[in-house]
Amino acid sequence: MISFRKKVIDTSDVMVDIIKVTKSYPPNVHALIDVSLNVNKGEIIFLTGMSGAGKTTLLRLLSRIERQTKGLVEVGGYDLSKLSRSKMQKLRRKIGTAYQDFKLLPERTVAQNIAITMEVAYKRPILIRKRIKKLLDQLGLQDKYNTPASELSRGEQQRVTIARAVANEPDLILADEPTGNLDHETTGRVMELFKECNKKGATLIIATHDESIYSNTNHRVMELYQGKQMFFDSQSKKRQLPSFVDELSFGDL
Amino acid sequence: MNFLFAVFQQTTRNLFQTWGSQVFTLLTITLSVLIFSFFYLVYSNMLNVGKQLGDDLRLVVYLDEEPGPELQEEYRYKILKFDRVDRIEFISSKDAYQRFSTQLGEDKDVLADMPDTFLPPSIEVYPVRSLDTLSRIKRFSDYLMTLPGVLKVQYGREWVERFYTFIQLLRIVVILSGTLLVLTTTLMVAHTIRLSLLSRQDELELLRLVGASSHYMRTPFFLEGAMHGFFGSTGGLFALYVLYNWIQLHFTGSTVLPIFSFTFFPPVILMIIISFSVLLCASGSFISTNKFIRL
Ligand SMILES: Nc1ncnc2c1ncn2[C@@H]1O[C@H](COP(=O)(O)OP(=O)(O)OP(=O)(O)O)[C@@H](O)[C@H]1O
Ligand SMILES: [Mg+2]
Repeated sequence: MISFRKKVIDTSDVMVDIIKVTKSYPPNVHALIDVSLNVNKGEIIFLTGMSGAGKTTLLRLLSRIERQTKGLVEVGGYDLSKLSRSKMQKLRRKIGTAYQDFKLLPERTVAQNIAITMEVAYKRPILIRKRIKKLLDQLGLQDKYNTPASELSRGEQQRVTIARAVANEPDLILADEPTGNLDHETTGRVMELFKECNKKGATLIIATHDESIYSNTNHRVMELYQGKQMFFDSQSKKRQLPSFVDELSFGDL
Repeated sequence: MNFLFAVFQQTTRNLFQTWGSQVFTLLTITLSVLIFSFFYLVYSNMLNVGKQLGDDLRLVVYLDEEPGPELQEEYRYKILKFDRVDRIEFISSKDAYQRFSTQLGEDKDVLADMPDTFLPPSIEVYPVRSLDTLSRIKRFSDYLMTLPGVLKVQYGREWVERFYTFIQLLRIVVILSGTLLVLTTTLMVAHTIRLSLLSRQDELELLRLVGASSHYMRTPFFLEGAMHGFFGSTGGLFALYVLYNWIQLHFTGSTVLPIFSFTFFPPVILMIIISFSVLLCASGSFISTNKFIRL
């Protein structure tokens, strides 16, 4: 595991390198068109754009759940299109994803759901339990340890998904609409957790409609519009543009 | 250590999630092993019987006249040059008469009017222990027929023939039930594992997404198959043992099976049957998971 960390993740300062990537679905849906993105190690970057713009698609390319139609996708210095199955499995264990549709196992408890990312990395059971307790505390779910996931509210499920994504301390965290169902205060807790992960060295890519979570930061924001890269610059510039796109996408949660 | 723990946890989850079909599979395997090992046990005991009987079996070569010492030497030489022949014994007409009258016991009066040389002299050949196939016995007796002065060669033909046919038949039954065992266990296990896989499809999909290694995903199913094989075959052999004891209890000492003692499998054979079943079931699960678990 340690040698892998050195080999795969630490080869350069670049965590994610996407060059002129196009993703088409048959017959003629173009989810992404000529998108390029470069994320440095330890960076936090936001991905915005109205519903159907291609945010989820972009994140899926990064863990090779989908493969690009054209272009290059590199994660941790590895060209994903050339990575063997077992290397990809190893790499995925270093990528934590909070899925937009949660992907929780309904009949398993909250703790069992979160444990999965650590279990596949063969972490010790005691360690897993401790980590889960801490995460649940941080996310305000301390009394849900043994609750089946199916009995949780949407907002609670969302937080469990986030806990699962970060539990194994991945080097890259992909969060797809992580605060979509959360109130202001809980959103704050989630962002705190993300910041903590970032301080420990994780790179974060956060797809969101929620302007409030990036408007007061100086992290980069990438905006997609119908699969095209509309805008990719620092925060200050973005605020000068008409944001009709954001307005539209709020309705789509 | 952590890997073993994870695998163990996954396996128990599987077993509980589809316990209905698990039990059914276990029963099928138990039954297949029982059927196969039953016939195999009977077969191997029959082979033993063949060996035991071989001690008593002899070929009787009837001669047209009493051989003199020179001729006896010649016969001895010509028959004993076969290394399969243990020994031969010359029976004169008078010896034969004596024997016959002893056999008749109280009825020996019927012989009263007969001359004591009315039975032909003969040579008894004791070779049959190692003549384990019928065709060998036949060939040997054909050879004996070519010796000078031989009237007839007898080897309890019908009885021996029937016995060997029976053993042939048993052999076929053993092979058939063995094939049945292979088919049912592999297919049933493959089927159950498929059900397990289907019932855990969402979880497997998720495991794939979070980067579980192929080993992590497959080993529990592999173990599940191996467990079916182990418990199924152990159960089947145990059932056979119970059946065996029951037969022992009810038939030994009676006149049905007086000639030979029926023995159970030695430990080595038990081990072989169990390991073979484990192997079969593991490969059944391999077939299923191979189709199913892809990245
Ligand atoms: N499996 C698929 N097959 C066909 N088309 C797809 C598939 N997945 C996504 N698309 C299409 O690709 C486009 C981009 O979808 P994507 O899910 O990336 O959007 P998004 O930006 O995540 O939207 P949202 O904000 O609603 O989550 C959409 O037009 C969608 O219909
Ligand atoms: Mg999306």
